[in-house]
Formats: sequence, structure tokens, C-alpha cells
Amino acid sequence: MLETTKNMARQILDEKKADGILGLMKGQWDIIQPHVFENPAELDNLVLEPKWLLAKLAMRVLRSSSENYTLAVICRGCDERALIELIKRNQIEEKTLLTIGIACSQEQAALCLCDRPYPAKLDAGEAVSGVDPLEDERVRALLIGNDTQRMEKWADMLRRCIKCYGCRNSCPICICEPCKLEDEVWVQRGTVPAEMIPFHLIRAFHLSDTCVACGACQEACPVNIPLLWLQFSMRKTLRERYGYEAGLDTETKSPVLSSAFEKPDSDREYPAWIHSLRERDGS
Amino acid sequence: MNQPRILIFACRWCGLIGADAAGKKRIALPTPFRVIPVECAALVETDAIIRALADGVDGVAVLGCHIGGCRYNNANHTAIKRMELLKDLLDTTGIGGNRLMFSFGTAHEDYQFEEVIKNFFDELGPLPSLGPWLSPSGVIR
Repeated sequence: MLETTKNMARQILDEKKADGILGLMKGQWDIIQPHVFENPAELDNLVLEPKWLLAKLAMRVLRSSSENYTLAVICRGCDERALIELIKRNQIEEKTLLTIGIACSQEQAALCLCDRPYPAKLDAGEAVSGVDPLEDERVRALLIGNDTQRMEKWADMLRRCIKCYGCRNSCPICICEPCKLEDEVWVQRGTVPAEMIPFHLIRAFHLSDTCVACGACQEACPVNIPLLWLQFSMRKTLRERYGYEAGLDTETKSPVLSSAFEKPDSDREYPAWIHSLRERDGS
Repeated sequence: MNQPRILIFACRWCGLIGADAAGKKRIALPTPFRVIPVECAALVETDAIIRALADGVDGVAVLGCHIGGCRYNNANHTAIKRMELLKDLLDTTGIGGNRLMFSFGTAHEDYQFEEVIKNFFDELGPLPSLGPWLSPSGVIR
């Protein structure tokens, strides 16, 4: 898989399809770090492990370079979905971006509880089947029980929060400027731990229909709060009710933004008289 | 027994007029609720609902127009989709999706307003308090 990726990256640089390749480099003292490869000779140092979300970095690279700069990103499934979501939000121009998709291993998929551990445009490696996160033992243990028990379990975990904003900063899709989590109106400032309901729920809900389940938030969390698990049931609802999953293509908009005519719920009945409205609107 | 406290966001074209009419007819209603008029149910930010729950409100109701009868064409469709997603999140965390209610009505439905609010009070009554969520940061306002 590594050789295929290297060859492909070399080809892209030789054919001048892209000006740079964003990937991981094993540098001095074997330290692994993200790097923009612009010279084919450098590509010998390219590595693919560990999992490293490059989407936000790709956005920064593209923003700080000239207008015609094209970048190829070596990305995993989650990374590709995040890039697609960023394109949808007009943060990256689609024509300046190329992707080299690599598949994750079965162990990595099990570690991330990933239900789609491969990119849509797969170039190297073989796609393995995903894991259903809601079937996982640990997730089930957290989600069973009545409201009080669940509240206590979550409160126990969220009480550890040191409000480092790592979850927000590492998230490839958290891009709002200014951020509501820094606003006194929504979240009390200057206290630790973070107020549990506003801080964590506002953050989680802002990503409800955009979360690509990459798990960057919980990997960044210094106190091991499983923040990604907040998203699973919302992702399931979106999938079951509207057949929507974030980051699969650049065209489909979130069903939350469209009316019930364009994107009807599968389990709700609408009164017949609203059809006259549909004819009036022509939608 | 403490009565639950309810915050109501009412769309000013339907829900609010209905609530007003309920008042004019002197319908007996449980007291601890406040109505905040909004231009449209779709303008109610989910963040505002979360903030209200964090500030010690026991339940939040969002009243909009009937589906298809929205002043702003399809705005209440997006609102209900968003609210139902939020219910999922509240269920996951154990706050309980039934603390959030979304209801449709028209301006003349004052008795419907009464019934909706009374039912909501009945539903919230037996729910546990949000205490464990509110105390660690030391703010119960």
C-alpha cells in the first residue's frame, strides 16, 4: 500500500497535476509529522501511519498559498469526508484539491468504531468492512438504562473536562469564526470544568449533520471523554430517516436545511392539503 | 411538589396569538411558564434551548404554525427536523428528549394551547431534576 501511494504521488508531481502533496513524513530522529511534499525526491520519507487528520491542515495550506496552487492530500475515509464537507462549506475550492485515498486496516476501523473505513475514491489498499458503532459493547453499556443512569454516567465523564478546547480545535469541520463556545452569552467563561450542558451539547449539536465520525475530538481529549459517542444516535437518525450521511458527495445538502417536500421524513405523515402549497411553490 | 418551569418559544403568527387568546378567554393554566415571542419557529436556535435547560428550566416548548401553513413557506419544516435531531442528542445524554416539545397550531386554537401546555406539565412532573448536570460548575440560576 505504501509503495502504491508513493508511486501515485510521484506520478502526480511528475505530471504536474498538483503543486504539492500533503502527507506524513518521517523526518529527523524518526519524528513523524505532516509535510507538503513538493519535490519527488522527498517522497522516500513518506509514511502512512499513524492516523492523522489532514483536512484542516489542507485548508490552511490552501488558504496561505497562491490562488492557483493545487494540493493533493493523502487521506483516509474520514479525512476525505471531512474534505468534502469543507468543500460544501466553501472553505476549499474543489478544483484546487486532489485526493489519494488509502484504506484503513481492520484494527484501525475497530479502534475508531468506524462504519466506513475507506474513502469513496480508493487508490491504495483494500477496503475492509466497517463496524457498527451502536453494536459495540462499550457504547451499548453507556446508552442503556433510564435517563437518570445515563445522565450520571455522562456527567461523571464530562466532569473531567478541563476546557482545553481540544475537541473544537482538532475537529476538521469546526471552522466558525467567531466561535459560540467563546461567547459569554452561551458558555460561562473562566470556569473549569466547562458547564456541562451548554459547552458539550452546543458543540455536539453544531456538528449533528456534519460530523464525519473521524474521532479527532476524542483523540485530542486529554481526559479521554468519548465525545464521538454523542454523535452516533444523531448519525443513525439522519441515515435512517433521510438516507443522508455527511461527506459522501459534494452535491447533497444536509436534509436539515431543506423542506419536507424536497427531503421527506420516512416516518412522518403530512396532511394532504399541503400538496396545494407544493404546487404553488413548484417544489 | 415543585412545579416544573417551562420556557415557551411561540411563533408570533400562530402560537403567540393562540397563547394570547387563551389568556383572553381566562382559561386556567398552570402558572410557571414564560412565553417568548419569536418571528418564526425556525428562528429558535437549538443553542438557546440548550442554554435554557442549563439555566434551570425544566422543559422547552417550541410552538410553530401547522406544517404547510407557515408564514414563511417551508421554514417550520426545517425547524422540526432540527428539533428532532436535538431530541436525539438529549436522549443520548440522559437529559431526555421529552423535555423538548414541538407543536403546531394556528392563531385561533387557544384550547389547543391549553391542552398542549397542560400535557407538557404532566409529562415533565415526574422527570428527575437536572441537578447532576448543573452543580459542578456551581451555577444554578
